[in-house]
Amino acid sequence: MVDFIEGELIAISVLIFILGLLFQVYRFFSITWKKEWSFLNLPAKKEEVPKGGAALLMDWIASLRRTVFGSHPYLITMTFLFHFFIFIVPLFVLGHTLLLKQAWGIRFLAFPESVSDGLTLVLLLCGLVFLLRRIFLKKVRVITAAYDYIVLFITLAPFITGFLAYHQWFDYRTVIFLHILSGEAMLITIPFTKLGHMIFFFLYRFFIGSEYSFLRGTRTW
Amino acid sequence: MSEPELKPIDREEIKRMLDQKKGKMKRLLSHCVHCSLCAESCFLFMAHDKDPQYMPSYKVIQSLGKLYKKKGTVNREFLERIKGIVWRNCVLCRRCYCPIGIDVPGMIAFTRAICRSQGVYPRQDGVPTESWL
Repeated sequence: MVDFIEGELIAISVLIFILGLLFQVYRFFSITWKKEWSFLNLPAKKEEVPKGGAALLMDWIASLRRTVFGSHPYLITMTFLFHFFIFIVPLFVLGHTLLLKQAWGIRFLAFPESVSDGLTLVLLLCGLVFLLRRIFLKKVRVITAAYDYIVLFITLAPFITGFLAYHQWFDYRTVIFLHILSGEAMLITIPFTKLGHMIFFFLYRFFIGSEYSFLRGTRTW
Repeated sequence: MSEPELKPIDREEIKRMLDQKKGKMKRLLSHCVHCSLCAESCFLFMAHDKDPQYMPSYKVIQSLGKLYKKKGTVNREFLERIKGIVWRNCVLCRRCYCPIGIDVPGMIAFTRAICRSQGVYPRQDGVPTESWL
């Protein structure tokens, strides 16, 4: 069982992750269709971009303040860091890149271990804030169910166990086994749970036409 | 004006309507990450002292979400209860913002259509006396 989880199940979970996401993308395009909108999310005239570094920066900050970042600056900063690190830490952590070289001979860029460690800590801190928010903020608590706690745990577990394994806290063999298992659980659940927002954020915000589309949004349900 | 005779709930019709839009609605419901970032974009939420029952995500989860969870096997009392959510707590102004891009007004409008199909809708004649929540 342990050999299966540390061996074949890794490949199976990656396959489920990739095929699951492809299926979701296929279903999205099959149940939406292109539509000519009677209005477009475009400005009336082309805005002039200010020249010069400082003016450009001020213009950028001003436009950011009109977004959700303006109304929730700390939360959005934490969310951005959380999602950014959740992507780059597993990609560039030394332990993974060494395994990649060992398995397939591929040399991949790796962060210094202290950097990966620091990024993981920031990520876990953001996760803790999300958990506390879910427990203590009334507006989040009313829409929270056990499912939300489970998904948050599934998301953080690979990073908690990875952190413990790197620092060799507790029995290393057990912690590494749990790290692999939690990573597989996360990969398998991404396409079929709310973690699918990983791909659907882009599909909805870029393809579906609405006031909040990032681009023209030429599709509709 | 006399009360119209209430016809029994047609659960098959509700199920048919839910199935018809299952692809979109169930996806949107499942992709809501329950972040509550939509709250402050609703003027009713802000006007009612940030009462969570006016949050767009709350409104959708408690109305359409529950309809899908119960697979349309609901009674008139349930529909009368969600009538307040989809008609009083939401005016379909489309102001609600969702970082994922979930179409909350579309889901509320669909729930209204389901209610209307069973003869559940806000009375337009006279002053409404019912308590919707």
